[in-house]
Amino acid sequence: MIESLTILAGALPYLLKGSVVTIGVVFGAMSLGLLFGIALAVGQVYGAIWLKRLIGLYVWFFRGVPLLVLLFLFYFGLFSLLNINLTAFTVAVIVLGLISAAYQSQIFRGAIVSLPDGQLKAARALGMSDATAIVLIILPQALRLAIPAWSNEYSIVLKDSAVAYALGVTEIMARAHFVASRTYQHLPLYFTAGVIFLILTYAGTKALRLLEERVHIPGYSQ
Amino acid sequence: MSTEMIPVLSAERITKRYGKKTVVRTASISVNKGDLKVIIGPSGAGKSTLLQCINYLVTPDEGRILLEGREIDPSRKKDLYRLRQDVGMIFQDFNLFDHLTAHDNVRIALRRVKGIDKTDASERAVRELERVGLLDHMHKYPAQLSGGQKQRVSIARALAMDPKIMLLDEPTSALDPELITEVLAVIGDLRANGMTMIMSTHQISFASEMADEFIFMEAGIIVETGSPAKILSQAECERTREFCAKINEIYGTSY
Amino acid sequence: MEEMLFIRTEVVPALARGIIVSIQLIIPSSALGLLVGMAVGAARVYGNRSLTFAANCYVAIFRGFPLVVQLFIWYFGLPYIGIYMTPYVAAVLGFSLCSGAYHSEYIRGAFLSIKQGQLMAAKALGFSHVGMLIHVIFPQAFRRALPGCGNEIVYLIKYSSLAYMITCIELTGEGKIIASETFKYIEIFLIIGAVYLFLTTIASWFLRRLENRLSIPGFKPFSV
Ligand SMILES: Nc1ncnc2c1ncn2[C@@H]1O[C@H](COP(=O)(O)OP(=O)(O)OP(=O)(O)O)[C@@H](O)[C@H]1O
Ligand SMILES: [Mg+2]
Repeated sequence: MIESLTILAGALPYLLKGSVVTIGVVFGAMSLGLLFGIALAVGQVYGAIWLKRLIGLYVWFFRGVPLLVLLFLFYFGLFSLLNINLTAFTVAVIVLGLISAAYQSQIFRGAIVSLPDGQLKAARALGMSDATAIVLIILPQALRLAIPAWSNEYSIVLKDSAVAYALGVTEIMARAHFVASRTYQHLPLYFTAGVIFLILTYAGTKALRLLEERVHIPGYSQ
Repeated sequence: MSTEMIPVLSAERITKRYGKKTVVRTASISVNKGDLKVIIGPSGAGKSTLLQCINYLVTPDEGRILLEGREIDPSRKKDLYRLRQDVGMIFQDFNLFDHLTAHDNVRIALRRVKGIDKTDASERAVRELERVGLLDHMHKYPAQLSGGQKQRVSIARALAMDPKIMLLDEPTSALDPELITEVLAVIGDLRANGMTMIMSTHQISFASEMADEFIFMEAGIIVETGSPAKILSQAECERTREFCAKINEIYGTSY
Repeated sequence: MEEMLFIRTEVVPALARGIIVSIQLIIPSSALGLLVGMAVGAARVYGNRSLTFAANCYVAIFRGFPLVVQLFIWYFGLPYIGIYMTPYVAAVLGFSLCSGAYHSEYIRGAFLSIKQGQLMAAKALGFSHVGMLIHVIFPQAFRRALPGCGNEIVYLIKYSSLAYMITCIELTGEGKIIASETFKYIEIFLIIGAVYLFLTTIASWFLRRLENRLSIPGFKPFSV
């Protein structure tokens, strides 16, 4: 017991450095997913029929294939075929980001279509182009509405990021396993890794709740 | 009336179909400067659709729109956006931008459509809000305003664009009775200042005091037009008389 | 020609083996997961305080820890306290307990969303407790929980690939092995991706059909 604790205490800084890597993966993937997800959502709501179909196909693919398979496909397959040399970290960010974009696009799409028609109508009636109306009127409202679901997506991406270990990204889980295999303290180390993920989930969702309150518009509800 | 005068706006032989259903059938309206034309007619007659065809919020299947004698080509985006800036629209359910304060609602199109700089746009917005009596409420969000206040903000928002004509689609229908007067007062004010307007409404008695012309519409067709007095008391068409009788019963004759 | 032979004699059998193992993972795990979810969900709604507390802790941990961490705990961690499992058993255990925690959220929500008036009306009509449960509560709760739980099963199909990480060689694992031998990463993982896509699509389709079949006008599903 004492021995476990001293090993844990010694390993903690090393694990915490892993959480910096995890945060990096998650931040990168969520940002990519946000930008691309917004574009996909707008395309799916306002785009031409062929674009809607194409985006539907994208969403279907990236929501239907397991993360691990996509990681292998991109890391060992696609990028080496294209002769692009990317680190495991970058590939993890890209793959998690592309998957998250598929999920996020559905969050934003739901938020956009839940807005009353009149918002776009009124913007057009003032002479705004559709692009201007989407940027100034539709997205500011839709993004606010999407925060709770987005926060849920964050906690999913955070947990999924542990799969990046399969490519050798030195995130929390990889480090826990590395230390465990040398010290034979598997259970305490994995448990600690899990607790770090719990804390990161809590911190992130808490921050997003604060953001939600900050950008809340008085009286606005749906 | 002089025949030389070019109407501010004319809508010629507008037709709109949804599927097989013809919602507006070859309807024509033309409005001279300072005119107030009022469209009346039962629910589902196509009033909203016709008004929205005028600024191409709904694209008509046939017909054309002329603004000050110039035909609009809606496939040319610049033309379209120009038309919409020149035609102010007031909606039945206000359609204020829910994420913006009253002030920002009025200001946003000035800045982002007309490209007016921030200070000027702000000042202009304040002036328009003052004109509709909402200076004290300018920092409130739509959800914090009463229906009547919201509709006045939306009027201020349209006025700030310096429209050549305003389209008002049942501006008081969504309001509680005690809030109707404040909005009608603002509209009366516009009329007195010579604003050119087309309005659809069920407020027959108010409209009959102000309108130059009544347009009775039913089942997508403009059935009859004429002075309020004529339409209300000696309409040629049986349906028009029936409608006016019913509307008087519901809303009363006195304003 | 040689290539075709290789595909016929090596690739196809390996992937077929993998698919069978994957299905052997998915079906028991989703069934057990649902059972766990129902038990935990019911405990959270109808249990006494300590039971509810225990159930809530369970859900917090099993929803909060990444599935990879959980699998590692079962397979690599438990030997630390003298419990050994085969990779397959550890994977099924890990999948069931994790998806059970998610299921319980939907099931709990479904139970809670049944209005008090429904119970009062049933009591007023003289229903027994069991009768009320069978005829009033379950039909409503089931419909409310269905979309969420169904989605969870679709997720499970995808997450079953993580069994590979604790050396349970299912579809993804077989693929990884062949791909490393042949360096045909793209082809192999595209085929594997297509198999998963097929499974998730079928499952979602079936789920939507079931939802439509059971749908009642004005009756909204519960969502977290
Ligand atoms: N987008 C649409 N698709 C199909 N039918 C429509 C659409 N918009 C309107 N309609 C139909 O067109 C007809 C006219 O509608 P419109 O809203 O113009 O009537 P209205 O005279 O404004 O009625 P109200 O007094 O109720 O506002 C109605 O029968 C309506 O159902
Ligand atoms: Mg209308």
